[in-house]
Amino acid sequence: MGLLTILKKMKQKEREMRLLMLGLDNAGKTTILKKFNGEDVSTISPTLGFNIKTLEHRGFKLNIWDVGGQKSLRSYWRNYFESTDGLVWVVDSADRLRMEDCRQELSALLLEERLAGATLLVFANKQDLPGALTKEAIREVLALDDINTHHWCIIGCSAVTGENLLAGVDWMLDDIAARIFTAE
Amino acid sequence: LRIVSEYKKKSEENGFYDRNAAAKLHERIEKRQQVLAEDVERRKEARQSQSVAEEKSEYFVSSFNAERAGIQELLSDCSGADRPTVTQKLEEATAKMTQLQKFLNDSMIFLSQYQIRVAQGALQKLQASLNETREEALPKKKFTFRSRTKAAEKVSDSPPPPSSETVSSGVTKVEEAAISEQTGFSNISNESLTKTSEEIQSRDVLLTHLTNCKVRLYGSPSTLHLKHITACEVLCGPVATSVFVDHCSNSVLGFACQQLRTHNTTDTQVYLHVTSRAIIEDCRGVSFAPFCWSYPTLDQDFTASGLDQDRNNWSQVDDFNWLAAGTPSPNWTVIPEADRKTTWDP
Ligand SMILES: Nc1nc2c(ncn2[C@@H]2O[C@H](COP(=O)(O)OP(=O)(O)O)[C@@H](O)[C@H]2O)c(=O)[nH]1
Ligand SMILES: [Mg+2]
Repeated sequence: MGLLTILKKMKQKEREMRLLMLGLDNAGKTTILKKFNGEDVSTISPTLGFNIKTLEHRGFKLNIWDVGGQKSLRSYWRNYFESTDGLVWVVDSADRLRMEDCRQELSALLLEERLAGATLLVFANKQDLPGALTKEAIREVLALDDINTHHWCIIGCSAVTGENLLAGVDWMLDDIAARIFTAE
Repeated sequence: LRIVSEYKKKSEENGFYDRNAAAKLHERIEKRQQVLAEDVERRKEARQSQSVAEEKSEYFVSSFNAERAGIQELLSDCSGADRPTVTQKLEEATAKMTQLQKFLNDSMIFLSQYQIRVAQGALQKLQASLNETREEALPKKKFTFRSRTKAAEKVSDSPPPPSSETVSSGVTKVEEAAISEQTGFSNISNESLTKTSEEIQSRDVLLTHLTNCKVRLYGSPSTLHLKHITACEVLCGPVATSVFVDHCSNSVLGFACQQLRTHNTTDTQVYLHVTSRAIIEDCRGVSFAPFCWSYPTLDQDFTASGLDQDRNNWSQVDDFNWLAAGTPSPNWTVIPEADRKTTWDP
Protein backbone atom coordinates (compact mmCIF):
# COMPACT_ATOMS: atom_id res chain seq x y z
CA MET A 1 0.00 0.00 0.00
CA GLY A 2 1.46 3.35 -1.03
CA LEU A 3 1.59 6.33 1.26
CA LEU A 4 -1.01 8.14 -0.72
CA THR A 5 -3.47 5.31 -0.34
CA ILE A 6 -2.93 5.20 3.40
CA LEU A 7 -3.42 8.90 3.82
CA LYS A 8 -6.49 8.69 1.66
CA LYS A 9 -7.95 5.94 3.81
CA MET A 10 -7.24 7.80 7.02
CA LYS A 11 -8.83 11.00 5.94
CA GLN A 12 -11.82 9.27 4.50
CA LYS A 13 -12.82 8.25 7.99
CA GLU A 14 -13.57 11.81 8.79
CA ARG A 15 -15.97 12.06 5.92
CA GLU A 16 -17.42 15.39 6.88
CA MET A 17 -17.84 18.23 4.47
CA ARG A 18 -18.95 21.75 4.83
CA LEU A 19 -20.95 23.26 2.02
CA LEU A 20 -22.04 26.86 1.83
CA MET A 21 -25.08 27.74 -0.24
CA LEU A 22 -25.20 31.30 -1.50
CA GLY A 23 -26.93 33.31 -4.20
CA LEU A 24 -29.23 36.28 -4.61
CA ASP A 25 -32.45 36.23 -2.66
CA ASN A 26 -35.24 34.24 -4.29
CA ALA A 27 -32.77 32.02 -6.16
CA GLY A 28 -34.21 28.95 -4.44
CA LYS A 29 -31.51 28.12 -1.86
CA THR A 30 -33.86 27.26 0.95
CA THR A 31 -36.09 25.29 -1.40
CA ILE A 32 -33.12 23.23 -2.61
CA LEU A 33 -32.05 22.50 0.93
CA LYS A 34 -35.54 21.42 1.96
CA LYS A 35 -36.09 19.38 -1.18
CA PHE A 36 -32.83 17.59 -0.69
CA ASN A 37 -33.99 16.78 2.79
CA GLY A 38 -37.37 15.56 1.56
CA GLU A 39 -39.34 18.33 3.26
CA ASP A 40 -42.41 20.18 2.01
CA VAL A 41 -41.33 22.99 -0.33
CA SER A 42 -44.65 24.74 -0.87
CA THR A 43 -44.51 27.01 2.16
CA ILE A 44 -40.99 28.40 2.23
CA SER A 45 -40.55 31.89 3.65
CA PRO A 46 -37.76 34.32 2.80
CA THR A 47 -34.83 33.35 4.99
CA LEU A 48 -34.13 35.54 7.97
CA GLY A 49 -30.49 34.96 8.91
CA PHE A 50 -29.55 31.43 7.87
CA ASN A 51 -30.54 27.76 7.91
CA ILE A 52 -28.10 25.04 8.84
CA LYS A 53 -28.85 21.45 7.96
CA THR A 54 -26.79 18.36 8.39
CA LEU A 55 -27.52 15.69 5.82
CA GLU A 56 -26.13 12.22 5.33
CA HIS A 57 -25.37 11.38 1.75
CA ARG A 58 -23.29 8.53 0.33
CA GLY A 59 -21.78 7.98 3.71
CA PHE A 60 -20.69 11.59 3.94
CA LYS A 61 -21.95 14.01 6.50
CA LEU A 62 -22.81 17.26 4.77
CA ASN A 63 -23.14 20.40 6.82
CA ILE A 64 -24.99 22.77 4.58
CA TRP A 65 -25.32 26.43 5.43
CA ASP A 66 -28.04 28.30 3.58
CA VAL A 67 -27.26 31.96 4.11
CA GLY A 68 -30.04 34.50 3.50
CA GLY A 69 -29.62 36.40 0.25
CA GLN A 70 -30.96 39.76 1.31
CA LYS A 71 -28.81 42.83 0.65
CA SER A 72 -28.42 43.76 4.29
CA LEU A 73 -27.14 40.27 5.02
CA ARG A 74 -24.68 39.99 2.16
CA SER A 75 -21.95 41.73 4.16
CA TYR A 76 -22.25 38.94 6.75
CA TRP A 77 -21.67 36.16 4.25
CA ARG A 78 -17.95 36.15 4.94
CA ASN A 79 -18.62 35.17 8.57
CA TYR A 80 -19.52 31.73 7.30
CA PHE A 81 -16.62 31.26 4.91
CA GLU A 82 -14.13 29.61 7.26
CA SER A 83 -13.27 26.03 6.29
CA THR A 84 -15.73 25.78 3.45
CA ASP A 85 -15.09 22.76 1.25
CA GLY A 86 -17.66 23.56 -1.37
CA LEU A 87 -19.60 26.60 -2.48
CA VAL A 88 -23.00 26.09 -4.05
CA TRP A 89 -24.00 29.19 -5.98
CA VAL A 90 -27.70 29.15 -6.79
CA VAL A 91 -29.07 31.12 -9.73
CA ASP A 92 -32.71 31.86 -10.50
CA SER A 93 -32.53 31.02 -14.21
CA ALA A 94 -35.69 32.97 -14.93
CA ASP A 95 -34.50 36.18 -13.28
CA ARG A 96 -32.93 37.87 -16.28
CA LEU A 97 -33.24 41.25 -14.64
CA ARG A 98 -30.71 40.48 -11.97
CA MET A 99 -28.23 38.33 -13.92
CA GLU A 100 -25.71 41.14 -13.96
CA ASP A 101 -26.09 41.59 -10.20
CA CYS A 102 -25.66 37.83 -9.90
CA ARG A 103 -22.46 37.84 -11.98
CA GLN A 104 -20.93 40.64 -9.91
CA GLU A 105 -21.72 38.99 -6.59
CA LEU A 106 -20.24 35.70 -7.70
CA SER A 107 -17.05 37.16 -9.06
CA ALA A 108 -16.55 39.22 -5.88
CA LEU A 109 -17.08 36.08 -3.84
CA LEU A 110 -14.47 34.12 -5.74
CA LEU A 111 -11.86 36.72 -4.76
CA GLU A 112 -12.42 35.93 -1.08
CA GLU A 113 -9.25 34.50 0.38
CA ARG A 114 -11.08 32.26 2.78
CA LEU A 115 -12.88 30.55 -0.09
CA ALA A 116 -9.70 29.82 -2.00
CA GLY A 117 -9.64 26.17 -2.99
CA ALA A 118 -13.35 25.60 -2.45
CA THR A 119 -15.11 23.68 -5.19
CA LEU A 120 -17.79 25.72 -6.94
CA LEU A 121 -21.08 24.23 -8.06
CA VAL A 122 -23.42 26.57 -9.91
CA PHE A 123 -27.03 25.46 -9.80
CA ALA A 124 -29.01 26.97 -12.70
CA ASN A 125 -32.23 26.57 -10.76
CA LYS A 126 -35.90 26.83 -11.80
CA GLN A 127 -35.39 25.02 -15.09
CA ASP A 128 -39.03 23.97 -14.84
CA LEU A 129 -40.15 27.56 -15.56
CA PRO A 130 -41.05 28.37 -19.17
CA GLY A 131 -38.93 31.54 -19.07
CA ALA A 132 -35.79 29.92 -17.68
CA LEU A 133 -32.42 30.56 -19.32
CA THR A 134 -30.54 27.38 -20.21
CA LYS A 135 -27.45 26.45 -18.25
CA GLU A 136 -25.33 27.21 -21.31
CA ALA A 137 -26.74 30.75 -21.44
CA ILE A 138 -26.07 31.24 -17.75
CA ARG A 139 -22.58 29.87 -18.10
CA GLU A 140 -21.95 32.58 -20.64
CA VAL A 141 -23.61 35.41 -18.75
CA LEU A 142 -21.79 34.60 -15.53
CA ALA A 143 -18.53 34.26 -17.50
CA LEU A 144 -17.82 30.94 -15.83
CA ASP A 145 -15.23 30.06 -18.47
CA ASP A 146 -13.07 32.86 -17.08
CA ILE A 147 -12.82 31.16 -13.69
CA ASN A 148 -9.49 29.42 -13.22
CA THR A 149 -9.11 29.76 -9.46
CA HIS A 150 -11.69 27.13 -8.52
CA HIS A 151 -12.90 23.80 -9.83
CA TRP A 152 -16.38 24.51 -11.10
CA CYS A 153 -19.39 22.96 -12.78
CA ILE A 154 -22.78 24.27 -13.80
CA ILE A 155 -25.86 22.08 -13.58
CA GLY A 156 -29.42 22.91 -14.59
CA CYS A 157 -31.91 21.89 -11.93
CA SER A 158 -35.28 22.46 -10.39
CA ALA A 159 -35.79 22.59 -6.66
CA VAL A 160 -39.49 22.12 -7.19
CA THR A 161 -39.29 18.87 -9.18
CA GLY A 162 -35.99 17.84 -7.62
CA GLU A 163 -34.43 17.33 -11.04
CA ASN A 164 -30.62 17.10 -10.99
CA LEU A 165 -30.20 18.15 -7.36
CA LEU A 166 -28.51 14.87 -6.51
CA ALA A 167 -26.44 14.93 -9.68
CA GLY A 168 -25.06 18.33 -8.65
CA VAL A 169 -24.26 17.33 -5.11
CA ASP A 170 -22.69 14.10 -6.34
CA TRP A 171 -20.36 15.98 -8.65
CA MET A 172 -19.41 18.25 -5.79
CA LEU A 173 -18.74 15.40 -3.37
CA ASP A 174 -16.57 13.63 -5.92
CA ASP A 175 -14.57 16.75 -6.59
CA ILE A 176 -14.08 17.60 -2.93
CA ALA A 177 -13.28 14.02 -2.01
CA ALA A 178 -10.67 13.79 -4.73
CA ARG A 179 -9.11 16.99 -3.44
CA ILE A 180 -9.16 16.79 0.35
CA PHE A 181 -9.17 13.06 0.94
CA THR A 182 -6.09 12.39 -1.10
CA ALA A 183 -2.90 14.10 0.02
CA GLU A 184 -2.39 17.50 1.57
CA LEU B 1 7.57 2.08 11.09
CA ARG B 2 7.55 1.04 7.51
CA ILE B 3 5.33 3.83 6.36
CA VAL B 4 7.55 6.47 7.89
CA SER B 5 10.65 5.03 6.37
CA GLU B 6 8.87 4.79 3.08
CA TYR B 7 7.92 8.42 3.47
CA LYS B 8 11.43 9.31 4.55
CA LYS B 9 12.84 7.52 1.57
CA LYS B 10 10.47 9.33 -0.71
CA SER B 11 11.31 12.67 0.83
CA GLU B 12 14.99 12.01 0.64
CA GLU B 13 14.59 11.09 -2.95
CA ASN B 14 13.16 14.52 -3.38
CA GLY B 15 16.19 15.88 -1.68
CA PHE B 16 14.73 16.95 1.68
CA TYR B 17 13.49 15.40 4.90
CA ASP B 18 11.08 17.35 6.99
CA ARG B 19 10.98 16.49 10.70
CA ASN B 20 7.69 18.25 11.08
CA ALA B 21 6.08 16.19 8.38
CA ALA B 22 7.23 13.01 10.06
CA ALA B 23 5.69 14.10 13.35
CA LYS B 24 2.47 14.90 11.59
CA LEU B 25 2.51 11.51 9.98
CA HIS B 26 2.96 9.81 13.37
CA GLU B 27 -0.03 11.67 14.61
CA ARG B 28 -2.03 10.44 11.68
CA ILE B 29 -0.96 6.88 12.14
CA GLU B 30 -2.03 6.97 15.75
CA LYS B 31 -5.35 8.31 14.66
CA ARG B 32 -5.63 5.56 12.13
CA GLN B 33 -4.90 2.93 14.75
CA GLN B 34 -7.73 4.32 16.77
CA VAL B 35 -9.99 4.30 13.78
CA LEU B 36 -9.10 0.69 13.05
CA ALA B 37 -10.02 -0.33 16.57
CA GLU B 38 -13.31 1.47 16.25
CA ASP B 39 -13.80 -0.28 12.95
CA VAL B 40 -13.57 -3.70 14.53
CA GLU B 41 -16.26 -2.74 16.99
CA ARG B 42 -18.40 -1.34 14.24
CA ARG B 43 -18.03 -4.44 12.12
CA LYS B 44 -19.17 -6.59 15.01
CA GLU B 45 -22.29 -4.48 15.35
CA ALA B 46 -22.75 -4.43 11.62
CA ARG B 47 -22.75 -8.23 11.44
CA GLN B 48 -25.56 -8.31 13.95
CA SER B 49 -27.67 -5.78 12.10
CA GLN B 50 -26.84 -7.10 8.66
CA SER B 51 -29.79 -9.41 8.38
CA VAL B 52 -32.09 -6.51 9.24
CA ALA B 53 -30.40 -4.35 6.63
CA GLU B 54 -30.81 -7.04 3.99
CA GLU B 55 -34.49 -7.25 4.67
CA LYS B 56 -34.77 -3.48 4.47
CA SER B 57 -32.92 -3.21 1.20
CA GLU B 58 -35.04 -5.97 -0.34
CA TYR B 59 -38.11 -4.06 0.69
CA PHE B 60 -36.62 -0.90 -0.79
CA VAL B 61 -35.87 -2.47 -4.16
CA SER B 62 -39.32 -3.97 -4.60
CA SER B 63 -41.19 -0.83 -3.47
CA PHE B 64 -38.95 1.40 -5.54
CA ASN B 65 -39.54 -0.66 -8.66
CA ALA B 66 -43.29 -0.79 -8.11
CA GLU B 67 -43.46 2.98 -7.69
CA ARG B 68 -41.29 3.50 -10.74
CA ALA B 69 -43.52 1.30 -12.89
CA GLY B 70 -46.52 3.32 -11.69
CA ILE B 71 -44.91 6.57 -12.81
CA GLN B 72 -43.91 5.08 -16.16
CA GLU B 73 -47.50 4.02 -16.70
CA LEU B 74 -48.73 7.54 -15.95
CA LEU B 75 -46.30 8.91 -18.54
CA SER B 76 -47.24 6.43 -21.24
CA ASP B 77 -50.92 7.22 -20.57
CA CYS B 78 -50.13 10.77 -21.70
CA SER B 79 -49.56 9.95 -25.36
CA GLY B 80 -52.64 10.81 -27.33
CA ALA B 81 -54.53 12.13 -24.31
CA ASP B 82 -56.14 15.59 -24.25
CA ARG B 83 -54.46 18.55 -22.58
CA PRO B 84 -56.29 18.54 -19.23
CA THR B 85 -55.67 14.81 -18.85
CA VAL B 86 -52.00 15.24 -19.68
CA THR B 87 -51.69 18.11 -17.19
CA GLN B 88 -53.32 16.05 -14.48
CA LYS B 89 -51.22 12.95 -15.21
CA LEU B 90 -48.01 14.97 -15.27
CA GLU B 91 -48.88 16.59 -11.97
CA GLU B 92 -49.50 13.19 -10.46
CA ALA B 93 -46.27 11.84 -11.92
CA THR B 94 -44.31 14.82 -10.56
CA ALA B 95 -45.75 14.34 -7.09
CA LYS B 96 -44.89 10.64 -7.20
CA MET B 97 -41.36 11.42 -8.35
CA THR B 98 -40.94 13.67 -5.33
CA GLN B 99 -42.11 10.93 -3.01
CA LEU B 100 -39.84 8.42 -4.67
CA GLN B 101 -36.87 10.77 -4.29
CA LYS B 102 -37.66 11.18 -0.63
CA PHE B 103 -38.00 7.44 -0.23
CA LEU B 104 -34.55 7.03 -1.74
CA ASN B 105 -33.06 9.78 0.44
CA ASP B 106 -34.51 8.16 3.54
CA SER B 107 -33.27 4.73 2.56
CA MET B 108 -29.69 5.70 1.76
CA ILE B 109 -28.49 4.77 5.24
CA PHE B 110 -28.94 1.06 4.64
CA LEU B 111 -28.37 0.85 0.87
CA SER B 112 -25.09 -0.05 -0.76
CA GLN B 113 -23.27 2.47 -2.95
CA TYR B 114 -24.21 0.35 -5.93
CA GLN B 115 -27.89 0.30 -5.05
CA ILE B 116 -27.88 4.06 -4.55
CA ARG B 117 -26.26 4.60 -7.93
CA VAL B 118 -28.76 2.34 -9.67
CA ALA B 119 -31.72 4.02 -7.99
CA GLN B 120 -30.37 7.49 -8.76
CA GLY B 121 -29.84 6.51 -12.38
CA ALA B 122 -33.38 5.20 -12.60
CA LEU B 123 -34.76 8.38 -11.07
CA GLN B 124 -32.81 10.52 -13.51
CA LYS B 125 -34.06 8.52 -16.47
CA LEU B 126 -37.58 8.83 -15.18
CA GLN B 127 -37.15 12.57 -14.74
CA ALA B 128 -35.87 12.83 -18.31
CA SER B 129 -38.85 11.00 -19.76
CA LEU B 130 -41.16 13.11 -17.61
CA ASN B 131 -39.57 16.22 -19.07
CA GLU B 132 -39.82 14.78 -22.55
CA THR B 133 -43.49 13.98 -22.11
CA ARG B 134 -44.14 17.45 -20.76
CA GLU B 135 -42.19 19.04 -23.60
CA GLU B 136 -44.15 17.06 -26.18
CA ALA B 137 -47.58 17.54 -24.72
CA LEU B 138 -47.18 21.09 -23.37
CA PRO B 139 -44.35 22.68 -25.39
CA LYS B 140 -42.59 25.78 -24.12
CA LYS B 141 -40.71 28.42 -26.02
CA LYS B 142 -36.98 27.84 -26.20
CA PHE B 143 -34.57 30.62 -25.41
CA THR B 144 -31.61 31.04 -27.72
CA PHE B 145 -28.95 33.63 -28.11
CA ARG B 146 -28.76 35.30 -31.49
CA SER B 147 -25.14 34.36 -31.84
CA ARG B 148 -24.07 31.62 -29.55
CA THR B 149 -20.38 31.03 -29.08
CA LYS B 150 -18.95 27.56 -29.47
CA ALA B 151 -17.83 27.57 -25.87
CA ALA B 152 -21.36 27.94 -24.63
CA GLU B 153 -22.49 24.81 -26.40
CA LYS B 154 -20.15 22.45 -24.66
CA VAL B 155 -21.36 20.85 -21.51
CA SER B 156 -19.09 21.41 -18.56
CA ASP B 157 -18.56 18.49 -16.28
CA SER B 158 -15.05 19.26 -15.24
CA PRO B 159 -13.09 22.46 -15.08
CA PRO B 160 -12.50 23.49 -18.66
CA PRO B 161 -9.00 24.25 -19.90
CA PRO B 162 -8.17 27.93 -19.62
CA SER B 163 -9.86 29.38 -22.62
CA SER B 164 -8.23 31.93 -24.84
CA GLU B 165 -11.63 32.78 -26.17
CA THR B 166 -12.86 35.66 -24.09
CA VAL B 167 -16.57 35.61 -23.60
CA SER B 168 -18.02 38.88 -24.71
CA SER B 169 -20.34 40.48 -22.21
CA GLY B 170 -23.47 38.38 -22.31
CA VAL B 171 -25.39 40.90 -20.32
CA THR B 172 -26.70 42.98 -23.15
CA LYS B 173 -27.83 39.81 -24.87
CA VAL B 174 -29.71 38.79 -21.78
CA GLU B 175 -31.31 42.18 -21.61
CA GLU B 176 -32.43 41.77 -25.20
CA ALA B 177 -33.75 38.36 -24.36
CA ALA B 178 -35.53 39.75 -21.33
CA ILE B 179 -37.42 42.13 -23.50
CA SER B 180 -38.58 39.45 -25.91
CA GLU B 181 -39.31 36.75 -23.33
CA GLN B 182 -40.97 38.77 -20.65
CA THR B 183 -44.19 40.62 -20.85
CA GLY B 184 -45.09 43.88 -19.15
CA PHE B 185 -44.99 47.66 -19.44
CA SER B 186 -42.19 50.18 -19.13
CA ASN B 187 -41.53 53.92 -19.45
CA ILE B 188 -45.15 55.02 -19.49
CA SER B 189 -46.92 57.90 -17.72
CA ASN B 190 -50.56 58.80 -17.15
CA GLU B 191 -52.20 55.79 -18.77
CA SER B 192 -54.51 52.88 -18.03
CA LEU B 193 -52.75 49.61 -18.84
CA THR B 194 -54.27 46.13 -19.02
CA LYS B 195 -53.04 42.62 -19.75
CA THR B 196 -55.33 39.66 -20.23
CA SER B 197 -55.01 36.22 -18.77
CA GLU B 198 -53.79 34.78 -22.08
CA GLU B 199 -51.00 37.37 -22.28
CA ILE B 200 -49.53 36.63 -18.87
CA GLN B 201 -50.39 33.03 -18.04
CA SER B 202 -47.32 31.41 -16.45
CA ARG B 203 -44.97 34.09 -17.76
CA ASP B 204 -42.80 36.61 -15.96
CA VAL B 205 -44.39 40.02 -15.81
CA LEU B 206 -42.20 43.09 -15.49
CA LEU B 207 -43.36 46.66 -14.84
CA THR B 208 -40.65 49.34 -14.85
CA HIS B 209 -40.55 53.14 -14.83
CA LEU B 210 -44.27 53.78 -14.65
CA THR B 211 -45.63 57.05 -13.32
CA ASN B 212 -49.21 57.83 -12.51
CA CYS B 213 -50.59 54.75 -14.28
CA LYS B 214 -53.46 52.41 -13.50
CA VAL B 215 -52.40 48.82 -14.20
CA ARG B 216 -54.66 45.75 -14.26
CA LEU B 217 -53.11 42.33 -14.77
CA TYR B 218 -55.74 39.61 -15.09
CA GLY B 219 -54.38 36.09 -14.85
CA SER B 220 -51.65 34.13 -13.11
CA PRO B 221 -48.02 35.07 -13.88
CA SER B 222 -45.07 33.01 -12.75
CA THR B 223 -43.34 35.97 -11.11
CA LEU B 224 -44.09 39.68 -10.97
CA HIS B 225 -41.41 42.39 -10.84
CA LEU B 226 -42.23 46.03 -10.10
CA LYS B 227 -39.34 48.47 -10.41
CA HIS B 228 -39.35 52.28 -10.28
CA ILE B 229 -43.08 52.71 -9.86
CA THR B 230 -44.36 56.12 -8.81
CA ALA B 231 -47.93 57.14 -7.97
CA CYS B 232 -49.48 54.08 -9.64
CA GLU B 233 -52.28 51.71 -8.79
CA VAL B 234 -51.26 48.16 -9.73
CA LEU B 235 -53.53 45.12 -9.31
CA CYS B 236 -52.53 41.62 -10.34
CA GLY B 237 -54.01 38.12 -10.15
CA PRO B 238 -52.40 35.25 -8.19
CA VAL B 239 -48.63 34.97 -8.80
CA ALA B 240 -47.35 31.39 -8.62
CA THR B 241 -44.04 32.22 -6.87
CA SER B 242 -42.63 35.58 -5.83
CA VAL B 243 -43.43 39.24 -6.26
CA PHE B 244 -40.53 41.68 -6.23
CA VAL B 245 -41.12 45.32 -5.48
CA ASP B 246 -38.16 47.68 -5.78
CA HIS B 247 -38.02 51.50 -5.74
CA CYS B 248 -41.72 52.04 -5.52
CA SER B 249 -43.30 55.14 -4.00
CA ASN B 250 -46.70 56.70 -3.31
CA SER B 251 -48.50 53.80 -4.88
CA VAL B 252 -51.26 51.31 -4.16
CA LEU B 253 -50.56 47.67 -4.99
CA GLY B 254 -52.73 44.56 -4.80
CA PHE B 255 -51.81 40.95 -5.57
CA ALA B 256 -51.66 37.37 -4.30
CA CYS B 257 -48.38 35.43 -4.22
CA GLN B 258 -46.30 32.88 -2.38
CA GLN B 259 -43.57 35.28 -1.25
CA LEU B 260 -43.28 39.07 -1.37
CA ARG B 261 -39.90 40.77 -1.35
CA THR B 262 -40.05 44.53 -1.04
CA HIS B 263 -36.99 46.77 -1.32
CA ASN B 264 -36.38 50.55 -1.29
CA THR B 265 -40.06 51.34 -1.16
CA THR B 266 -41.75 54.26 0.53
CA ASP B 267 -45.30 55.39 1.31
CA THR B 268 -47.00 52.53 -0.47
CA GLN B 269 -50.07 50.49 0.39
CA VAL B 270 -50.09 46.78 -0.33
CA TYR B 271 -53.33 44.78 -0.45
CA LEU B 272 -51.80 41.40 -0.05
CA HIS B 273 -52.51 37.69 -0.13
CA VAL B 274 -49.30 35.85 0.71
CA THR B 275 -49.17 32.15 1.49
CA SER B 276 -45.70 32.15 3.06
CA ARG B 277 -44.19 35.49 4.05
CA ALA B 278 -43.67 39.09 3.05
CA ILE B 279 -40.37 40.81 3.75
CA ILE B 280 -39.35 44.44 3.50
CA GLU B 281 -35.84 45.81 3.31
CA ASP B 282 -34.77 49.47 3.18
CA CYS B 283 -38.40 50.56 3.24
CA ARG B 284 -40.40 53.28 5.01
CA GLY B 285 -44.10 53.93 5.30
CA VAL B 286 -45.27 50.66 3.77
CA SER B 287 -48.71 49.56 4.93
CA PHE B 288 -50.58 46.30 4.48
CA ALA B 289 -54.17 45.06 4.25
CA PRO B 290 -55.69 41.82 2.98
CA PHE B 291 -56.05 41.40 -0.79
CA CYS B 292 -59.61 42.28 -1.77
CA TRP B 293 -59.59 42.76 -5.54
CA SER B 294 -61.80 40.45 -7.53
CA TYR B 295 -62.55 39.72 -11.17
CA PRO B 296 -64.60 37.00 -12.87
CA THR B 297 -61.85 34.39 -13.34
CA LEU B 298 -60.01 34.98 -10.05
CA ASP B 299 -60.86 31.57 -8.56
CA GLN B 300 -59.65 29.83 -11.69
CA ASP B 301 -56.40 31.80 -11.58
CA PHE B 302 -55.91 30.88 -7.94
CA THR B 303 -56.15 27.24 -8.95
CA ALA B 304 -53.72 27.74 -11.81
CA SER B 305 -51.21 29.45 -9.51
CA GLY B 306 -51.26 26.63 -7.00
CA LEU B 307 -51.71 29.13 -4.16
CA ASP B 308 -53.84 28.22 -1.17
CA GLN B 309 -56.72 30.69 -1.14
CA ASP B 310 -57.40 30.01 2.53
CA ARG B 311 -53.92 30.76 3.77
CA ASN B 312 -53.08 34.45 3.97
CA ASN B 313 -50.21 35.75 6.12
CA TRP B 314 -50.56 39.35 4.96
CA SER B 315 -49.94 40.81 8.41
CA GLN B 316 -46.77 38.80 9.20
CA VAL B 317 -44.14 41.02 7.66
CA ASP B 318 -40.42 40.54 8.33
CA ASP B 319 -38.26 43.65 8.17
CA PHE B 320 -34.69 42.76 7.29
CA ASN B 321 -33.49 46.02 8.78
CA TRP B 322 -35.27 45.36 12.05
CA LEU B 323 -34.03 42.18 13.57
CA ALA B 324 -34.92 43.11 17.16
CA ALA B 325 -37.37 40.53 18.48
CA GLY B 326 -40.29 41.80 20.51
CA THR B 327 -40.42 45.39 19.29
CA PRO B 328 -42.30 45.90 16.03
CA SER B 329 -40.58 47.50 13.06
CA PRO B 330 -41.36 51.20 12.59
CA ASN B 331 -41.10 50.79 8.82
CA TRP B 332 -44.45 49.14 8.20
CA THR B 333 -48.00 49.23 9.57
CA VAL B 334 -51.39 47.61 9.13
CA ILE B 335 -53.93 49.81 7.32
CA PRO B 336 -56.78 50.45 9.80
CA GLU B 337 -59.95 48.70 8.68
CA ALA B 338 -61.86 51.96 8.32
CA ASP B 339 -59.25 53.28 5.88
CA ARG B 340 -59.09 50.25 3.61
CA LYS B 341 -60.24 50.41 0.02
CA THR B 342 -63.17 48.11 -0.65
CA THR B 343 -63.98 48.88 -4.25
CA TRP B 344 -61.69 49.22 -7.21
CA ASP B 345 -62.14 50.83 -10.62
CA PRO B 346 -62.19 48.27 -13.42
N1 LIG C 1 -40.74 27.17 -10.38
C1 LIG C 1 -39.77 27.08 -9.47
N2 LIG C 1 -39.80 27.86 -8.39
C2 LIG C 1 -38.82 27.74 -7.47
C3 LIG C 1 -37.76 26.80 -7.63
N3 LIG C 1 -36.93 26.92 -6.56
C4 LIG C 1 -37.47 27.88 -5.77
N4 LIG C 1 -38.61 28.37 -6.30
C5 LIG C 1 -39.46 29.43 -5.75
O1 LIG C 1 -38.68 30.61 -5.64
C6 LIG C 1 -39.04 31.34 -4.48
C7 LIG C 1 -37.83 31.62 -3.62
O2 LIG C 1 -37.31 30.41 -3.09
P1 LIG C 1 -36.40 30.39 -1.77
O3 LIG C 1 -35.97 28.99 -1.56
O4 LIG C 1 -37.09 31.07 -0.66
O5 LIG C 1 -35.16 31.28 -2.24
P2 LIG C 1 -33.87 31.75 -1.40
O6 LIG C 1 -34.05 33.19 -1.10
O7 LIG C 1 -32.71 31.55 -2.34
O8 LIG C 1 -33.77 30.89 -0.18
C8 LIG C 1 -40.12 30.51 -3.78
O9 LIG C 1 -41.36 31.05 -4.16
C9 LIG C 1 -39.93 29.13 -4.34
O10 LIG C 1 -41.13 28.39 -4.36
C10 LIG C 1 -37.75 25.98 -8.83
O11 LIG C 1 -36.87 25.15 -9.07
N5 LIG C 1 -38.78 26.18 -9.69
MG1 LIG D 1 -33.87 31.37 1.72
